[in-house]
Amino acid sequence: MAEPAAAAAAPTRRRVWLKPFSDQSVPGQALFVWLSFLLPLVVWAAVSYVPFLWHPLVKIQDPASVSYFRPDTLVERSVFRAENAKLAAAGKPLATGTPANPVFLPAPHEVAQAFHKSFTTPPRRKGEKWLHESLWQSIQVIFWGFTISSLIGVPLGILCGTFQPIAKLTEPFVDFTRYMPAPAFGALAVAVLGIYDPPKIAIIFLGTFFQQVLVIANTTRKLDPALIEAAQTLGARRPQLLFRVIVPGCAFDLYNDMRILLGWAWTYLIVAEYIGASSGITFFINQQAKYRIYDNVFAAIIIIGILGFTTDRFLAWLGVHLFPWKRRRSSAPAT
Amino acid sequence: MTTVALPDYRQQSPEVAARFQRIRERPVILQVRDLEKAYGAGPSRHVVFDHVTLDIHRREFITVIGPSGCGKSTFVRIVAGLDEATSGQILLDNHPVSEPGPDRGMVFQGYTLFPWLTVKRNVMFGLEMRGRARSTAETEARQWIDMVGLAKFENSYPHELSGGMKQRVAIARALANEPRILLMDEPFGALDAQTRWKMQKYLLQIWKKVDVTILFITHDLDEAIFLSDRILVLGTNPGGVREIIENPVPRPRTLEQFLSPEFLALKARLDHLIHGDEPPDEEDKLPLGRMTTAGDDAE
Repeated sequence: MAEPAAAAAAPTRRRVWLKPFSDQSVPGQALFVWLSFLLPLVVWAAVSYVPFLWHPLVKIQDPASVSYFRPDTLVERSVFRAENAKLAAAGKPLATGTPANPVFLPAPHEVAQAFHKSFTTPPRRKGEKWLHESLWQSIQVIFWGFTISSLIGVPLGILCGTFQPIAKLTEPFVDFTRYMPAPAFGALAVAVLGIYDPPKIAIIFLGTFFQQVLVIANTTRKLDPALIEAAQTLGARRPQLLFRVIVPGCAFDLYNDMRILLGWAWTYLIVAEYIGASSGITFFINQQAKYRIYDNVFAAIIIIGILGFTTDRFLAWLGVHLFPWKRRRSSAPAT
Repeated sequence: MTTVALPDYRQQSPEVAARFQRIRERPVILQVRDLEKAYGAGPSRHVVFDHVTLDIHRREFITVIGPSGCGKSTFVRIVAGLDEATSGQILLDNHPVSEPGPDRGMVFQGYTLFPWLTVKRNVMFGLEMRGRARSTAETEARQWIDMVGLAKFENSYPHELSGGMKQRVAIARALANEPRILLMDEPFGALDAQTRWKMQKYLLQIWKKVDVTILFITHDLDEAIFLSDRILVLGTNPGGVREIIENPVPRPRTLEQFLSPEFLALKARLDHLIHGDEPPDEEDKLPLGRMTTAGDDAE
């Protein structure tokens, strides 16, 4: 009896795994979250540490009698072989070296060290900023750009979604401006606002604002009109409809829009920081790349990722608490 | 099979006749005057219904029934003030209505509870809109939630409730405003048969306890008969009132009445009014060829 039961259970489990649009939780689902990070890391580690994977260069140990080989420099594998072939033909001792990856692909442990180092090493030149100072500057720029954009864009978007005439008055122009890439306004922003933070904040504002108005307006329009009708039959008047029905009804979707838009703002940050006096995390990355300290470059890029990811996770967690009505506590009881 | 001769659907027992007499003596709550709804203009003008005239008395239960496309939903939406009539008038307590208001509560077919509010806050919504203090609103809301039997769920969110419970909250929410008339647009249409039947019984119980007049849209003949005092039958081509029928089935209503002669007579009449003039179904013309003979031997 046990055998057929086991046989029946196996295909069921497989069906749960590959069921389209399934919201059933699969045993060990948490593992997938880790795997999604672990797998890229494994690939990176493999390419870095397994000598026969990629490794197009050779790191010279003993240059022997090759005139332009120096210890610890990198040469192409083909060049290394050719020189060694010449040495062998001449009967001289061979040069030695180990397979290596290009300098722009540091190994995980090097980046991990750089992570620590980049926070603890003082900047090379006077006046340059520590990594955490650069980061802090970037965060401030993005905060102000996004906040100013949201303070205007969110109410305007809700009004556009709610009232047809306001949408007619606003959206065509917003749509028109939206197609002008924000960085195109860079020179103008510097001319008007100087070379420090204000033009950068302006670029983030321009990059976010116009998309924001349209996205928020569209989300607002998706509210079930029956809810508004129900509220009207309960005696709600226009301002009450707006503040007691439309805004709370859209709030959850608007909140998620904002999470996505914040990601957008980060993209514009990198562009914005090139404008005027280069600053913030972008400046740090460029500087480190100039010095060819690619482990620091990777560390900085990963820090942006970590920052963005944790912010988003935090906002998701906050969302669950802000919108308890979106949580499924139990299945619906019978009538 | 024997055919039982059914009585005339207009034939009322003395008790039922006396009840209708009493209803007619009550004040008129809602007057529908020569209502017309049409779309388009000129030759493409399509009249959904016209010349709809009806007086609804206090605490009367009216059901509106008709084939799809007869505009029964449009009719109730016009009464609610959510749609506009092409011509004609709706008078509530002798005052013309033109926009939605809390004096005409409405329960929709779809679930229109505010998903971001708990059951209690949903029921409080109308009271708060009308400027009631929070604490008074809360006390009143509790009474209404109690009446629909959901006291245990006052702090639940709508998504945690079953379909039938949601509609009970919707009824409580509308009644909390103490409307002159309760408009119900196929409120049980989305529920399964079992729940639907329970909800019909609940509704009659609630109606008994509250001073409210009900205008109830449905496409279900049994539901229309089980609930109503009078039935407004709408038709299509041309659209308009086919008949306004005084329901001869005595109250209180029970399940057994579904097989009573009055009930069946009225149902036959409604069926004739709604489906009688329909052309034969496409299905009647399906070819008769068969694809299988499996199982035939068992018959």
